[in-house]
Amino acid sequence: MSILTQLNAPPIYLICGGIIAFVAVLCVIFLIRAWRAGVALGMDKGAMKRAVTSSATFSLLPSVGILLGVIALSGSLGIPWPWLRLSVIGALHYETQVAQAAAEQVGMGTLSAARMTPGSFATIALLMSICIMWGMILSVFFNKKYTQKLTVSKEKAGGGFGDLAMTAMFIGLVSAYLGSYVGGFVSGNGLFTFTGDWTPIAVAAVSALVMAGFVYLAEKKQKAWVESFSVAGSMIVGMAAAVVIGLLMK
Amino acid sequence: MENKFNESWAAYTRGTHRIGRICTVVTLIMLVGAPFLMGTYLGALPDLGAVARAFLSVGLVWTVSSVVEFLIYTPMLGAGGGYLAFITGNLINMKIPCAVNARDIVGAKTGTPENEIISTLSIATSSLVTILVLALGVLLLTPLQPILQSEALQPAFSNVVPALFGAMAYKYYRNHMNIALAPLVLMSLLFILMPKLIESTSMMIIPSGALAIGIAWLLYRKQKGGN
Repeated sequence: MSILTQLNAPPIYLICGGIIAFVAVLCVIFLIRAWRAGVALGMDKGAMKRAVTSSATFSLLPSVGILLGVIALSGSLGIPWPWLRLSVIGALHYETQVAQAAAEQVGMGTLSAARMTPGSFATIALLMSICIMWGMILSVFFNKKYTQKLTVSKEKAGGGFGDLAMTAMFIGLVSAYLGSYVGGFVSGNGLFTFTGDWTPIAVAAVSALVMAGFVYLAEKKQKAWVESFSVAGSMIVGMAAAVVIGLLMK
Repeated sequence: MENKFNESWAAYTRGTHRIGRICTVVTLIMLVGAPFLMGTYLGALPDLGAVARAFLSVGLVWTVSSVVEFLIYTPMLGAGGGYLAFITGNLINMKIPCAVNARDIVGAKTGTPENEIISTLSIATSSLVTILVLALGVLLLTPLQPILQSEALQPAFSNVVPALFGAMAYKYYRNHMNIALAPLVLMSLLFILMPKLIESTSMMIIPSGALAIGIAWLLYRKQKGGN
């Protein structure tokens, strides 16, 4: 029996699927509790629905991207384990890097089904679990104290610096990524060669333009409902632009 | 009335931490236990020496990154959203922008009960969508694989993050250009002059965010002084 047949065996699916099911139930519990608490708090049900709808549409495309990660890793680690890792805790760039590092340590050189053994698979799987568990451990010990310190009273809400600080932090996050696209194009193939990949810059620009259109519709034409789909819609057009650029560059 | 509200909110928060902590510990045990369980089925347990060596070579970097992520993202996510997001992963490329977007649509303020509710709803929904899409994808892997891996579609899936951050940039830059300009220019210059840093973009969020917060603080103080 080949290693991939063993890694795709029903018991492995059962182990991984069971953990995914547990986390799915946990998400449903948090969702229902938060909804009920929101209602008890007197929050607008329409606003809560918009939060749910926008989050669902927002997550569709990135999820398909993550599915590609499952496909990419399934060639060496089988389907169930990458399915678990990317459904529950992982991030694609992390999983690939750690799996590769572990493969080197067990003497495989490179991550491939041809050199995979049951022992090396178990070792790689354990390392993938251990390396990224610290956020969860910190949550267990410090989430309560940390979030309690950050909680503000209703009177202070919106009047303090906290809200602006969070917006600024997010702006910093976005700026770091946009800056990396500019750097990749200008110096990706050598300092100031301007021969790097410009597709990410074009995609981000197209996506931003489409978002501008959505914002115009929401604010100037009073079509507030488009807000729930604005990010997903902008991303679809941006990603479609990447396909067009790819075809033109051939 | 106010007392009743405070009591019910305190009970909700206590419950969130209790459920969050228990379920995080259970998930941790399952995730670390799964390789041993699968190894037992496959007839070979993990090589703990190799795990230790690999952890020293690559794991320490991720440990530092995890601490930074916890400190930066927990305030954005709130208690319930925080527990869920650290269990379900994909923070930068999905959960954080998703929660920030939902908060923005509803107009909830950081640190308030409304923000806590919206963030939890957003992260839970986003996680469920990912779980569902991946489950369907795995179920339909054979017919879907040629489409998803077709050469023509590869640029689209390689550019999910630029598409996401392009849209989010417009939303956040347009009202805060005075905050965004300096980090954007500085980060672009840094990546142009030191392209090796592109591999560490997720770590560069720290100086970029610190600069943006510093500028925001100066503007806030100026505005407060003017009032």
